[in-house]
Amino acid sequence: MFNRIIAINSIEQLNESYYVISVDIGESVKEIRPGQFFELKKPESCYPMLRKPISVYDIQSTKVSFMIKKLGKATEQFAVMKAGDKLDIIGPLGNGFSITEGNKAIIVSGGIGYPPLYYLKTQLEQAGKTIYWLHGGQTSIDIFPADEIWTDDGSAGNKGFVTEGLTNYIKNQKPDVIYACGPKAMLKACHQIAERNSVPLFVSLEEYMACGIGVCYGCAVKVRTDNSIGVTYKTVCKDGPVFEAKDIVWE
Amino acid sequence: MNRLQTRLGKLELQNPVTVASGTFGLEYGEFFDLNRLGAYVTKTITLKPKIGNPPPRLYETEAGLLNSIGLQNPGVEEFIKLNLPELKEVLSIPIIVSFSGGTIEEFTTILSKLERTDGIAGYEVNISCPNVEKEGIAFGVDALVVYELIRRLRSFTNKELIVKLTPNVTDIVSIANAAEEGGADSMALINTVQGMAIDPLSGKSRVKMGVCGYSGPAIKPIALANVFKVAQRVKLPILAMGGICTWQDAMEFFYAGASAIAVGTYNFVNPKACVDLIDGLDNYLSEKGATLQDIIGKVSF
Ligand SMILES: Cc1cc2nc3c(=O)[nH]c(=O)nc-3n(C[C@H](O)[C@H](O)[C@H](O)COP(=O)(O)OP(=O)(O)OC[C@H]3O[C@@H](n4cnc5c(N)ncnc54)[C@H](O)[C@@H]3O)c2cc1C
Ligand SMILES: Cc1cc2nc3c(=O)[nH]c(=O)nc-3n(C[C@H](O)[C@H](O)[C@H](O)COP(=O)(O)O)c2cc1C
Ligand code: FES
Repeated sequence: MFNRIIAINSIEQLNESYYVISVDIGESVKEIRPGQFFELKKPESCYPMLRKPISVYDIQSTKVSFMIKKLGKATEQFAVMKAGDKLDIIGPLGNGFSITEGNKAIIVSGGIGYPPLYYLKTQLEQAGKTIYWLHGGQTSIDIFPADEIWTDDGSAGNKGFVTEGLTNYIKNQKPDVIYACGPKAMLKACHQIAERNSVPLFVSLEEYMACGIGVCYGCAVKVRTDNSIGVTYKTVCKDGPVFEAKDIVWE
Repeated sequence: MNRLQTRLGKLELQNPVTVASGTFGLEYGEFFDLNRLGAYVTKTITLKPKIGNPPPRLYETEAGLLNSIGLQNPGVEEFIKLNLPELKEVLSIPIIVSFSGGTIEEFTTILSKLERTDGIAGYEVNISCPNVEKEGIAFGVDALVVYELIRRLRSFTNKELIVKLTPNVTDIVSIANAAEEGGADSMALINTVQGMAIDPLSGKSRVKMGVCGYSGPAIKPIALANVFKVAQRVKLPILAMGGICTWQDAMEFFYAGASAIAVGTYNFVNPKACVDLIDGLDNYLSEKGATLQDIIGKVSF
């Protein structure tokens, strides 16, 4: 984990909502596991003052890149930055995905759930796994390369929810593991499907963050545990963002 | 002589920079040598473990942060068994343990357990929590209750006893007086200010619990006014906090009468904020040819 103020290497607009920023962090790339994230901040920004969690999307030699969706103040600020502009980053943070036993993996992403799974996919491929990727979004703007595409409005790929695709796919080919990232409702549906089919599911969660390193307990997620009340809160930033879906209390 | 040296009641500190309870952890050791701090203040612990409040627990607004963590902590037993040894292992600076309770009895039970361990230099008593014996009204708003609580705690320890005051009261000076009469050694102020935010489009509260604690730059003038008022009327030394980000912010609090300061929310923004602040203060005082003690309480009008 390090904190550095670093020049942006390149910034590329993918479409009206999404862009990719890359920075050269030198040998520190070796520390990064798939599913980990960084906390980004425009150095002089007073509002927003807090850093924003952004997943590692890809690594090329010593450059790490972030794929970001414009959602609000910080993500709009980053979007208009240029190569050479400074970004204040802390990372790599969080536990990341572990690459499990078994050969066949399914990846399910929704919208901005895509980036952490992209880097995971490159690592799964290196480990020689077979991967099938289902990606869904609201409209065609939210769509990026995958084996199967779903949109809410039918503007790209199949019309409907990506979880429908997951149900159909599993019927014919049961995978050894599923990895998912996206909106809570999508993850919950994935959990139900995975349970029904007895397939382990690992999800990467999002929660509002302040410190990003596990000290403030701001980014809480309710999980099952063996204390007297059976539940507790864990931190998404340090205990997560990756959890096994069966441990989470889906509300 | 060390120009940053200061005294907080019974504690001699190598410099006046500490960390605000609940905003810091050993994790920051990744960014700087934690033994450069004046003292280390733990997150508030309670008698029994607390799982905390449902999320969302945080929301950033203009110039500040809203939080409703709900004192999530492992409880005093687990703290003594697991956390305290870790702190002692890493830290050679004074360790101040923040604790809280729902009844006076709970406060005294925690303190007596902590007194049976070693390695603790002092206590910060968090009285911003609800008093279950008084319809859940915060301990810190009632001068009589504060007096009684501190008097009881005083009988359990000779170590530094810091009372952390909440700004959400009609007259903070009367509460500070009660803490002094009860036998406190020093005071920490301020805890978070009450705040709230609502999504203007959906009408939904941004933080699940609704009204919660507000911290960061937005509360600095409020904290400064409270520190100044208390310093004018109460003799106990003050550990000041509320929106402190830079050494210049800290200087304002020293002029207002604080003997030491704590950095809270700003740790999240700049993980090296505390050391940057220490270095900034040291440089400035050295250039000015002054010591911290020349500054404390010397505000002019
Ligand atoms: C571990 C983790 C990894 C992430 N990885 C990525 C990534 O790779 N790429 C990416 O673009 N985003 C990612 N996010 C989400 C990103 O952090 C948020 O979109 C960002 O914080 C929004 O900040 P803002 O200031 O632009 O928006 P704000 O001004 O804070 O909010 C604007 C609007 O967006 C909503 N919003 C804010 N935060 C979130 C959130 N976390 N999820 C959903 N809605 C939100 C708000 O409710 C509000 O309506 C990740 C989040 C986490 C926790
Ligand atoms: C996330 C968070 C958690 C906090 N937890 C505690 C706590 O456990 N006990 C306590 O006495 N104060 C707690 N506080 C209050 C701070 O210690 C401090 O009094 C307040 O935030 C003002 O300082 P700041 O503006 O520098 O953050 C917390 C504040 C924040 C932001
Ligand atoms: S953001 Fe502070 S604990 Fe996760």
